[in-house]
Amino acid sequence: MRALLKMERPAWLLAAAALVVLVVINGLVQKGFFAPMVLQSNLTTFLPLVLVAIGQTYVILAGDIDLSVGAVAALVNVITVSVMAALGGSAGAIAAGMAAGILVAVACGLLNGLLIAVLRLQPMVTTFGTGIIFSALALWVLPQAGLVVPDAYWSTYGGAILDVPTVLWILLLAGLFVFVLARLPFQSWLKAVGGNRSGAFQSGLPLTGIRIKAFVLSAIFAGLAALCLTGETATGDPLMGQSLGMGSISAVALGGTLLSGGVGGAMGSILGALLLGMIGNVIYFAGLPYEYQTLVQGLIVLAALAGGVVLARR
Amino acid sequence: MNMAIEAKSLTKTFGSVRALTEGRLRVAEGEIHALLGANGCGKSTLSKIIAGTHAPSSGSLRINGQEVSFASPRAAEDAGVALFYQELSLIPQLSVEANIFLGREPRTAVGAIDRKAMRAMAQKLIDRFGEAVGPGLRPEARVSDLQPGERQIVEILKVYAKNPRIVIMDEATAALDSRQVAVFFDFLREKRGEGVSTVFISHRLAEVFAICDRITVMRNGETVAEMTVADTTQEEVVRMMVGDIHRPQKRAAKTGTATPIFEVRNITGARFHDVSLSLAPGEILGLGGLQGQGQSALLRGLFGITPLTAGTLHLEGRACRMRRPAQAMAEGLAYVSGDRVSDSVLQGRSIYENLLAALVMREGKLWLSPRQMAPRLSAEAASLKTKYAQLSDAINTLSGGNQQKVFIARWLATQPRILLLDDPTKGIDLGAKADLFALIRDLADKGVGIILYSSEESELLDNCDRIAVFNGGAVVTELSGATLDSFHLTRAAFGES
Amino acid sequence: MSDGLTSDINARPWQTKALTLLRDPLTLALLAIVVMLGIGEALSPGFARGDQIVRLLTVAALLGIAAAGQNLVILSGGAGIDLSVGALISFGAVVAGNVMNGADAAILPAILAAIAVTFLFGCVNGIGVTVIRIPPIVMTLGMMAVVQGGLVVFSQGIPSGNAAPALMNFINKPMLFGLPGILFAWLALSIAMVILLRRTSLGFAIYAIGANEQAARLVGLPVKTVRVLVFGLSGALAGLTGVMVIGYTGNSFISVGDQYMLPTIIAVVIGGTSLAGGSGGYVGTVAGAIALVLLQSLLTTLHLEVWGRQLIFGATLLVLLGMYGRQQAPRV
Repeated sequence: MRALLKMERPAWLLAAAALVVLVVINGLVQKGFFAPMVLQSNLTTFLPLVLVAIGQTYVILAGDIDLSVGAVAALVNVITVSVMAALGGSAGAIAAGMAAGILVAVACGLLNGLLIAVLRLQPMVTTFGTGIIFSALALWVLPQAGLVVPDAYWSTYGGAILDVPTVLWILLLAGLFVFVLARLPFQSWLKAVGGNRSGAFQSGLPLTGIRIKAFVLSAIFAGLAALCLTGETATGDPLMGQSLGMGSISAVALGGTLLSGGVGGAMGSILGALLLGMIGNVIYFAGLPYEYQTLVQGLIVLAALAGGVVLARR
Repeated sequence: MNMAIEAKSLTKTFGSVRALTEGRLRVAEGEIHALLGANGCGKSTLSKIIAGTHAPSSGSLRINGQEVSFASPRAAEDAGVALFYQELSLIPQLSVEANIFLGREPRTAVGAIDRKAMRAMAQKLIDRFGEAVGPGLRPEARVSDLQPGERQIVEILKVYAKNPRIVIMDEATAALDSRQVAVFFDFLREKRGEGVSTVFISHRLAEVFAICDRITVMRNGETVAEMTVADTTQEEVVRMMVGDIHRPQKRAAKTGTATPIFEVRNITGARFHDVSLSLAPGEILGLGGLQGQGQSALLRGLFGITPLTAGTLHLEGRACRMRRPAQAMAEGLAYVSGDRVSDSVLQGRSIYENLLAALVMREGKLWLSPRQMAPRLSAEAASLKTKYAQLSDAINTLSGGNQQKVFIARWLATQPRILLLDDPTKGIDLGAKADLFALIRDLADKGVGIILYSSEESELLDNCDRIAVFNGGAVVTELSGATLDSFHLTRAAFGES
Repeated sequence: MSDGLTSDINARPWQTKALTLLRDPLTLALLAIVVMLGIGEALSPGFARGDQIVRLLTVAALLGIAAAGQNLVILSGGAGIDLSVGALISFGAVVAGNVMNGADAAILPAILAAIAVTFLFGCVNGIGVTVIRIPPIVMTLGMMAVVQGGLVVFSQGIPSGNAAPALMNFINKPMLFGLPGILFAWLALSIAMVILLRRTSLGFAIYAIGANEQAARLVGLPVKTVRVLVFGLSGALAGLTGVMVIGYTGNSFISVGDQYMLPTIIAVVIGGTSLAGGSGGYVGTVAGAIALVLLQSLLTTLHLEVWGRQLIFGATLLVLLGMYGRQQAPRV
């Protein structure tokens, strides 16, 4: 038994097991849960958090944290929608809007990274502060929810490519990215920077560059999440994505990544994000009154954070 | 014979402190060369210059015949020089293989880590240590799961994974057991056969004589001798390290006059094991030996900062335990750390508040009245001749020496029965040291028991009634009376009792 | 700086005093207040009129009381910050509103109930931070979500509970010298805070832990207990603010406190308390709260939109962080 406990096992195994249980419960409480249409609509709901959680993982692995992801998503959303609207909604306009959104995300990530890794400001409060600024800019670009997204954009997002739902393509591509990155030296370096910063420095790793890249990755994934939200809601909303910051941190913690840095991986965060989505689903379909949903979700998030920290100390 | 390292007249000053005045070192290609000296002799400064961590103030350094001046450790590595860090550069959360090749991972054609190659290379390196390591030391094992000795071996392997031509091994055997040391020496000899030069720094003289070809001895920032191991003896090497034998003026010794005020029996903690000591009232007991041999760890264990895993403590014959500093304080202990920045200073607060710190819990008062406290605290500060303009000034307006006086006065205000001093004069000026030791002797005369660890031999010899000499976390011997001189102290510091 | 235990022990020559004053965040905040009043009066006559200033001070009092708790948490260092104050203000308001429900006789029980509940929530924050070792910003953010969720359950999403008339008068009507009672309450709290920080061992421990946690532990201070207590006090003060807020608005709704969370942090930082902990004090925070409310009012007078105000807030926070909150570079 002891040998079994000491055996090497990936930290996300727990999340995977919980996910299986929840899928079963979901199958029981939600009618037609396994119908392709329902699966696709569920995935559409979960996808933004999955993407943000992937990016957040890299920042957390390096021992930092990014609270600005929600605001980045809002900013990217309004920029993308505004650019598409300004250019008339053609295919070119859609591409330009998406590109503008991602570019803005990169800029946001660079700002975070520079303030934190170069100017050495405290990461939590800094991203909290830049988050306020990004939200302000989003409100400036689009003071009120509105503007219509070109039909082609949201219908492609909600539809299928080669008979496979677009959202599934995105999930698969994100998974592929995570898989590839886990095999590059960069992920080891992130863990080294988060695990023992002075040790990483002595081993000759370029700390500053590694931390900046992590913040840029996080912002890009927040930007991608915004593009998905845009496809889902088909509108611009400067207040979009406010729950993504806390949600992504919880998903990362649920997925077995230590909030103190150095241990974990983005595959677990994907599971963690799906898990959070499923919990929401179960609460909704189990007939729990609406009022209890935020409370239960908040409690589960807190329990996950506490549990993750406690497990890490074994 | 080709010279791998040729250092001539290297000097290094830090501010006004001259850490190195005449650094000379000649190491041949394929040689294992010992660099020896007592604390503060300049050997670590010299090796850091060679490894590119420090830039020399003046002098010349040739590596493989080429005049060099390294801008960074990375530049030194590129020139084939690698320095062993004492367990500091490992990432505990990563696997052994990831640590060994961190930043220089073998890659496949597409840029991913070539795990197969990395595992094979790591396994090959680990196999060199063969049976001396447990089955836990596998390429894929997490470093945090390893034994201290195995961790040190990983650090050693990390050095050799860089394929260096010159290796500086600063206390690389500290955490190894005897079998691991034997295998490590075989490994060093094998590397010597391949033409790799090793600078070997160790606190065990026996090891030096077992593995090294030649020895360079340093004293007071200067290289004083260079000799061949075959032509010298341990006695002679110790004599070279010591120079003129320092025999201190004796204080009227207080040893053994009364029942011990404090007795420590067979205690074990993080970096020390099976230590037994006894302290008489009014006695000044010194902890000697090279730096990092468990002296600080012992004092921190006694004060309840780090846990003791075995052994017993007796205060005036009564068994007691120190699980937290608050508990130790309640028993009348006080602890002055030499690391002012991390252990003592309340940054940004006033001198008054820094003086008050220990009294708050000692007296357990809810209400703190400056009018009542200030005179008491300024009296304690005055007893140490602390120089300050006003109690309300910020602590960082004071010099290092005066700050340390404040931190000692902080503890004197609690009227301790036992004072633990952990290298208290680190980085403070001579005047402040003299004031401090005058006060310490004064306290001892009043019956306070004092345990003093100092990295400066002369401080121990001049002030202590007895010195327990540490080597590798254990007490090698106790010096008192006729044996209380620098020769015996240095010899014991290198593990020869 | 005029905080800490020692301010009254010695006097300095006036020249040095003047120089120090100019570098003091408190002086700068006071200066900013005067300048802003001047600008406001110039742009819109009547801005600096007596009744306007009393109105501003009333709003500042609400912020200032909540910021007192935030101040303690930030002073105690260790990346201490309390993001749950906004939600706890709402919670305090809803609890108080339901307990008193318009009855003057129930004001005291309402205050006690609100404070007790929010104190417990705060202690849970403290336990999460010290025992389970969750970073404060994450712990309190999680607590915010839980409290907001709890509020929805508690109130079933409908605004409920009413302020008692006496409470509303206390906050909105002149009581003495033409000033409402809440200003006297704020003054009393300020004096209590200053005494707590400068004259009690708890205050000393808060500064010491914030300045150097390791050193505080080595002199025997009960670091964890103090930190739990500090988070508890922050919760209780948020709860008290909630009571005042319902008195100010008349009834409670579940997001009434949200707007206070960010300003409490900024008021504390403007007032010269370092985000790294260990230095600063409540007098500065009082000035910071007034300056911030004044700034908000000025920006509204200037017809600056929400985004402009937010932008200025965020930028202020980052600039202050850059001035006071740098971290150390790794060294060999």
